[in-house]
Amino acid sequence: MGEPRVPEYGAGTIPFDHALHGDSIGLDCAACHTGSRASANAFMPSKADCMDCHRLPLTEKPGIETLDSLLAKADERPWSHGRHLPEHVVFHHGVHASAGVACADCHGTGYMQNRYGGEKFDMQTCLKCHRGETFREKGFKPAASYCAACHR
Amino acid sequence: MGMDRREFIKSCSLVAMMGLLFGCRKVSLDALAAGEPGLAQFEEEVKLAISHAKRQFDLVKVARPGLLEIPGASSVNRFGMAIDLDLCDGCGKCILACNVENNVPLVPAEDAARGRFMHWIDMHGSAPFMCAHCGKAPCERVCPTGAANHTPDGLSAMMYKRCTGSRFCGANCPVQARKFNFNDARKLGLAHQFNKNIPLRDKGVMEKCSLCLHRLQDDRLKFKTSLTVGATAEEWRGRGVKTACSESCPKNAIIFGNWLDDESPLVQRTKNRVLYAPRELANLDPSVVFMRGRR
Repeated sequence: MGEPRVPEYGAGTIPFDHALHGDSIGLDCAACHTGSRASANAFMPSKADCMDCHRLPLTEKPGIETLDSLLAKADERPWSHGRHLPEHVVFHHGVHASAGVACADCHGTGYMQNRYGGEKFDMQTCLKCHRGETFREKGFKPAASYCAACHR
Repeated sequence: MGMDRREFIKSCSLVAMMGLLFGCRKVSLDALAAGEPGLAQFEEEVKLAISHAKRQFDLVKVARPGLLEIPGASSVNRFGMAIDLDLCDGCGKCILACNVENNVPLVPAEDAARGRFMHWIDMHGSAPFMCAHCGKAPCERVCPTGAANHTPDGLSAMMYKRCTGSRFCGANCPVQARKFNFNDARKLGLAHQFNKNIPLRDKGVMEKCSLCLHRLQDDRLKFKTSLTVGATAEEWRGRGVKTACSESCPKNAIIFGNWLDDESPLVQRTKNRVLYAPRELANLDPSVVFMRGRR
């Protein structure tokens, strides 16, 4: 599964490339996904978050000024990003960030983030730390493993 | 054949259109016809339930709940409730509050007429009764899938997605505190998702009082992201959380709290009182008890 040549379309059909906007430019996930450190929901960025950086031309590539001016003129389109997790699952981003889990541990890095979750999420992904040995290897605190900790 | 070709093609495409419009809908036509029930219907049903109140339980004295005797039990949290029978007047506001908080469905008219409801709280005599979250729960012992289990902090939890509908738990509960979804409430237009944070249950799944697990979960998660986490050795005690029934009682007769926390209103208000539980549950270490009279 190699890196795709063009960025794939994300949840909102905006051709945004995570690989371009990540570690390579020293940008932390929480700069745009403002809830990822302390809230349950990580939130999708608003136009204001994009404009924070795109107010001025950021590279010397031709077309950056076109991008900036179009972005400034575009209307605010709220995300129609529905919850991907089923109703009976409780997931709190903030609790995991506070416990030392890095965003990349679940969401992958670079181009993999263009697809939600980087890989398919299921309960097995969670159990690797919540019941398995991975949390010890990564140095996280032991996580709750009784059903009612995460389900309702 | 009275129809000409044009008419025939017109009616065929009309049928095809109807099929596309209605066939793809998630909501069945029954539910469309039935409509979504409103709050008034839930209120009516609660009034009906109170009029069908069952016989009062025989109450016997029980010891104050202490540490849970299960492996992995928390040494600082054991949630429970005490219902003060001197204050309760059987108004039923707790039942309505619980139904709305937890999206409990209505039942078909025939069941209601026989006094069989899905309510998690039932009136016995003039006292509300719900799952007692027994420390030695007979229901959890017989669940074949582990859907009925006990949390370290004292809740008898019900995991709907693991339930396969064997109903062993319901049969083994000595006080019939559990309710089974015999009907697909959504399809019959009997359910309304008042609370978007709680899922609607499928047909074939058992449900019962959860001691408002979702409120405890939200509070615990909020605590774990607060700025003092890690800085102090403080543990989460669930202070300030109230169940929906306890919040709604106009006489403050239902007290929710933490049996192992001296600052909890539950411990403070039960200090000099005698605690009772239904005779059938007395040896099962219930977390929900009754109070009557002064010591």
